[in-house]
Amino acid sequence: MASLKDIRVRIESTKNTQQITKAMKLVSAAKLRKAQNQIVNMRLYAHSLLKVIANITLTERVNHPLIVPKPETKKVLLLVLSSDRGLCGGFNAQINKFTDNYVKTNQGKYETMDFFFIGRRALDFFAKRKFNVIGSMLKLDKDVSYALASGVAEKAMHLYLDGQYDEIRLIYNEFKSAISQSVVCETLLPVDLEKQTLIATEAHSPGFAQDMIFEPSPEKIIDQLLVKHFSVQIYRCMAESVAAEHGARMTAMENASNNAKEVLSRLTLTYNKLRQEKITTELIEIVSGAEAL
Amino acid sequence: MFKLFFATPDKKIIADAELEEITVPSYRGELNILPGHAPLMTTLEAGILRYKLKSGESQKMAISWGYCQISSDGVTVLAETAVVGADLDIKVIEQHLKENENRLANESLDDVQWEKVQHEIGRLRAETDLLAEKTH
Repeated sequence: MASLKDIRVRIESTKNTQQITKAMKLVSAAKLRKAQNQIVNMRLYAHSLLKVIANITLTERVNHPLIVPKPETKKVLLLVLSSDRGLCGGFNAQINKFTDNYVKTNQGKYETMDFFFIGRRALDFFAKRKFNVIGSMLKLDKDVSYALASGVAEKAMHLYLDGQYDEIRLIYNEFKSAISQSVVCETLLPVDLEKQTLIATEAHSPGFAQDMIFEPSPEKIIDQLLVKHFSVQIYRCMAESVAAEHGARMTAMENASNNAKEVLSRLTLTYNKLRQEKITTELIEIVSGAEAL
Repeated sequence: MFKLFFATPDKKIIADAELEEITVPSYRGELNILPGHAPLMTTLEAGILRYKLKSGESQKMAISWGYCQISSDGVTVLAETAVVGADLDIKVIEQHLKENENRLANESLDDVQWEKVQHEIGRLRAETDLLAEKTH
């Protein structure tokens, strides 16, 4: 049986842990709010960009290499988005598990499957596997900026245009709400316009005139727009992943705080019981001592 | 109704504001747009964008790549970056500019890098121009 002092020490340390988890939860909540704002702002941009692309492709015939799928999908590049830090519940474990399963089920289908890791957790996890890693990007816990995302996008796009890869896919945690996120795999290149167009035409802009003047030619405009669209897609996924990470951490820390509270109340109960027992024993000793006299 | 929607990937700058006049650095050069302009879509180069709202508020910003769509009901401008003069530091810009120009002059760059450096220089020059205008 633990002594009174042991229990006191444990109570203290649990209290400290609880304080840390509470603080972490608050920090994550603040960061989550920021990340959510970022997503909202970026969605506006992404949406109008997509609307324009959809509108141009509706009026003009476009055969851009970023849209036209390759005849055969042999070489695939997988971008895997995880976080740099832990203590965020199943966030990274889900990504790792999903990627692992994905590789197992798709291994035979493609000639090559290469990886690009964004975030340290997945990179560390898969470091021991014999995966072909073409690059990685770490230290993104500060702020996910558009410049950062477009850097990755540019790299991936050139590999794609050079014919190194037939498809570029991205595995990331989709932000659903503060308490739920789900791992999804999206094909980023070639751009699947039909699906995207559908989304965009729902909000079809009435202002798009048939006699629109294009400067420079529609082909040149769409060429630039598609490149930007790809960057924005990566940026969106990164922003979602960051938001999901903070959401996951917030939930995990909330749970940890609650657990600490439970442990504390159990420990306090044991402590009080022990103390009471000790007092009773002492009283009995005193009383029986006095009687003996 | 002639409205302005102006956004960058990082922030929405203005939405649904009644527009009086806007000048954008288009592909063909400075383009001044007033209500009733013909529908047009153009890409934007790095340069200075100016707008004036009906409410009297006016603003000028240095932008890098973007595009601009003019339709009967308004103007949509999307820019990769957009900064106001107050957020800029001439010393930092000049240093970056010098670094990039040095790279252009001294390093052998492939097409991709060359384009990137050019793009960067364009953005920095636009920012310098914006600051130069302000001090006048």
